[in-house]
Amino acid sequence: MSSEPLLRVENLKTQFFTDAGTVRAVDGISFEVHEGEIVGLVGESGAGKSVASMSLLRLVENPGEIVAGEITYKGETIFGLEEGSDGDLREREDMLSNEAVRDRIRGNEIAVIFQDPMESLNPVFTVGGQLREFIELNRDLSGAEAKEEAIEMLREVGIPDPEERYEEYPHQFSGGMRQRVLIAMALACEPNLIIADEPTTALDVTVEGQIIDLVDDLQEKYNTSFIWVTHDMGVVAEICDRVNVMYLGEIIEQAPVDELFHDTKHPYTQALLNSMPRPDRTVEELEPIEGVMPEAISPPSGCRFHPRCPDAREVCQRVHPEPKEVARADGHPHNAACVKHDVFDVGYDESPPFEEEPQLTAGTPGGEDGE
Amino acid sequence: MGLLRYTLYRLVQAVPVLIGITIITFLLANSAPGDPVRLMLQGQEVDEELIQTIEQRYGLDQPLHERYLTYMSGLVQGDFGHSIHYNEPVSDLMWSRLGPTLLLVLSAYAFAVVTAIPLGILAATKRNEPTDHVSRIVALLGVSTPSFWIGIMLILLFAVQLGWFPSTGLVYPWWGPEGYDWIDTWPELLYQTALHLLLPMIALGTLQMATLMRVERTQMIESLQGEYVKLARAYGVPERTILRKHAFQNAQLPIITIIGLNLSTALGGAVLIEYVFNINGMGRLFIEAIQTLDYQLIMGITIVIGTMFVIGVIITDISYAYIDPRVTYGEEE
Amino acid sequence: MAIGESQMGDESGPSEEVEAKFGWRYTLKKVMDDATARWGLYIVAVVIVISAYTMVDSNLSRITFGMVSDFTFAEALPIFDHPERIPPPGEGESHVPPAFHADGSMAHPLGTDADGRDYFTRIVYGAQVSVSVGIVSTLIGFVGGTIVGAVAGFYGGKIDDVLMRAVETVYAIPPLILIIVFTVFVSGGSPDITYAILGVGITFIPVFARIIRSEVLSIREMDYIEAARASGVKNRNIILRHVIPNSFAPVLVYATLQIGVTILIVAGLSFLGYGAQPPTPDWGEMLNVSHGYMHANVWLSVWPGLAILVTIMGFNLFGDGLQDALDPRLKN
Repeated sequence: MSSEPLLRVENLKTQFFTDAGTVRAVDGISFEVHEGEIVGLVGESGAGKSVASMSLLRLVENPGEIVAGEITYKGETIFGLEEGSDGDLREREDMLSNEAVRDRIRGNEIAVIFQDPMESLNPVFTVGGQLREFIELNRDLSGAEAKEEAIEMLREVGIPDPEERYEEYPHQFSGGMRQRVLIAMALACEPNLIIADEPTTALDVTVEGQIIDLVDDLQEKYNTSFIWVTHDMGVVAEICDRVNVMYLGEIIEQAPVDELFHDTKHPYTQALLNSMPRPDRTVEELEPIEGVMPEAISPPSGCRFHPRCPDAREVCQRVHPEPKEVARADGHPHNAACVKHDVFDVGYDESPPFEEEPQLTAGTPGGEDGE
Repeated sequence: MGLLRYTLYRLVQAVPVLIGITIITFLLANSAPGDPVRLMLQGQEVDEELIQTIEQRYGLDQPLHERYLTYMSGLVQGDFGHSIHYNEPVSDLMWSRLGPTLLLVLSAYAFAVVTAIPLGILAATKRNEPTDHVSRIVALLGVSTPSFWIGIMLILLFAVQLGWFPSTGLVYPWWGPEGYDWIDTWPELLYQTALHLLLPMIALGTLQMATLMRVERTQMIESLQGEYVKLARAYGVPERTILRKHAFQNAQLPIITIIGLNLSTALGGAVLIEYVFNINGMGRLFIEAIQTLDYQLIMGITIVIGTMFVIGVIITDISYAYIDPRVTYGEEE
Repeated sequence: MAIGESQMGDESGPSEEVEAKFGWRYTLKKVMDDATARWGLYIVAVVIVISAYTMVDSNLSRITFGMVSDFTFAEALPIFDHPERIPPPGEGESHVPPAFHADGSMAHPLGTDADGRDYFTRIVYGAQVSVSVGIVSTLIGFVGGTIVGAVAGFYGGKIDDVLMRAVETVYAIPPLILIIVFTVFVSGGSPDITYAILGVGITFIPVFARIIRSEVLSIREMDYIEAARASGVKNRNIILRHVIPNSFAPVLVYATLQIGVTILIVAGLSFLGYGAQPPTPDWGEMLNVSHGYMHANVWLSVWPGLAILVTIMGFNLFGDGLQDALDPRLKN
């Protein structure tokens, strides 16, 4: 495994400029993906995971915009800003143009699998036709060759009678089958990285299991890297090598998967784990996390999780922690953005406990007024 | 279920509706106090004997349901009765007037479709920019303006004031140059056809165009926000292809249905436009029939126009089924 | 995606004031916020007020207008004569052009018609017919359609089949044609505005029936209907107290837009001579008359058409705005 990461994201910030205010959907996240590994991006709905993954392909649409950060893929700059002579930020010289991103990166190098297989496939075109179009576009094959590839890939993902099904329409496939088609689509373009955005969320549990097994097998075979976006910790446990946990636009914990589950370093991750049934523990009651994740327009001051955190202290309201290395495992750092760890040194132990009721509805009491 | 089966299915489904049309028309035509002939001859000095002879001749002394059955038995053989006013079989009259109406209605449709779809797409891609706002206002005007008034205004401006176009009548290409002593050649004939057709076509087609433009815009916007478009973008499909192929085809489906349903308004509008432009079509015939209370003619025209609508809808439904694979191939699991 | 999900709650105020989405004040506020919808509402309001006012008492309005004119102009303008009164020979001048024309004057801002009657007054009074017919016949269609649609949707089965077939049949005949046939025959050869109202109303029952039916169908499957049934509430009451109120909003939008359609159809009807009968001033009827004088007096054809256009546009703008307010998804 080479030491140079396939994908490096540094301090990515994506914001949406709406009438109601600026939504800081992704507010400074940094992570890496190496060859052949499956990296998880976990968080509740609204944490910013999907926006983050779309930002990687520069697919953020109006009124959204990537406003800061650097995205490097295989040494090339997918996104990067620099300060111009007038003090304004502008795109770097070495940043790839829109056409370059479109032609060379999207599909060829980085592919996507979306959440809803029904909506992701165009109902008026045959499944085979859509597959073939993407293959032709991204692999420089002729139409006939692309069709052959497509049929092979359909077979590879476990769809029986691929030659016949090639001519069929999306509505003639079941949900699980459609998702396999999307996987086939992604793999057929032979990318080095696949971003899977909640691919099993819309499927029922047994089908989900099959898909996960399929991805595992294929990943071993093709050595493709994955970014697996999900809110389901169970899926994370099964399939990911390393995990990034997101909360309200920030990554608050990063670790190899076993580490994350057995030596959790952030209260939010711990709360997530406590709120779901785990086969390795028996508990009297599940503990849901109190409160609701606030909107990304005006996040709470200091640590964004502090209003809901059982371990919160006064200092948490004032200090905004960045993820810092608090341990190492398997040769990888274990980072957490929580001031209760010594490495932060802000006087957590001396600080009195935080005394406010977590709000129970969306909207933030005592939060910062937008910026 | 296969396109052929679907067609047959729709045709069979249409039969009760067609029968219903005849029933409604028949009931309405006979709803006046007294019988239709008396109604027609209202205010005229005709002696009682003559009326009774006519009544007998048209079977009006029979009870209603029998008259209906007699009428229907004639209808299925193509006999729509006899026009008292013109003294001709109704079917002959209608047949001779069908051409102009079809020419008018179809060209109005063509005009509407050809202008509305590109404009709608343009408005969708330039959403919320000035182009979009302008097109929306234009569409709103088109939907809010009476077609016959547009016709009158067009005549006043382009025919009367500027003299660019003739103000009345149509030239029929199927008569050939021989049919007109002031036209010698085919190119001249086609030119004259177009010249006479332009103003009425715009007058009738504006409402259609405006409606279609709005729908096209909405459909394209929705289609462009579809997940499949996002996926195509994510796979590097160029924006032009996305517009032309991925978003467009999907967006057209409801439009086809709407085109079919709008036929109803178009046929009604044809009555008004033919009146304004003095075109010798079914619409004009209808007005003449109403003015003379020629009840068999009225019934015939109403039934035929209603049937035209039903068939038009079936045609659009079949086109829809042809294009949308979900209808013909059904839902599988 | 993530953003849409986190944008919950009312953006324009503190979280406590999350009103029910169909609250009238909330809807009205949203309509007023939208510039085009607001203008639509203004136009509709103006037209309705004018109609109502001119209907109440023509003497009263004449006196009021007279007072206004005394105040603003040097002399009492003859324009506030009764719109149907044909000036005796020698008194009125026919085919006077509008005020901005060389031969026109402010005495007749829009000129006079072939009989010498002031056109401005006739246009103003013409609003009456259009608006009242528009509203009344839409109401007839709405009530009739609600009954048919609700019954068909709720009971389903054979009743639904039969009713929908009947609806389809009426729908198949173009409205204008159906209404003319209805009006002419049912009135026994002497059509007038009352038959027109009835005809238009009945013709639009199918339109409303369909919408109501589809609303009912979707509501029928909702849990609270199941709950009502399980508690033993009678079908009729379920329809009246649960189904109909909940299907109200989209139908209201449709009704508003339908008024525009109705006015359009009635204009066509009157244009052909089967709506309002002379001497009642009505825009469509005025266009009919002006058609005959097309070459002699261009202006006669312009003003009634503009009046129709503006009125219908008002209803459409308002209806669109209402739709956007009640279903903002479609706008954004």
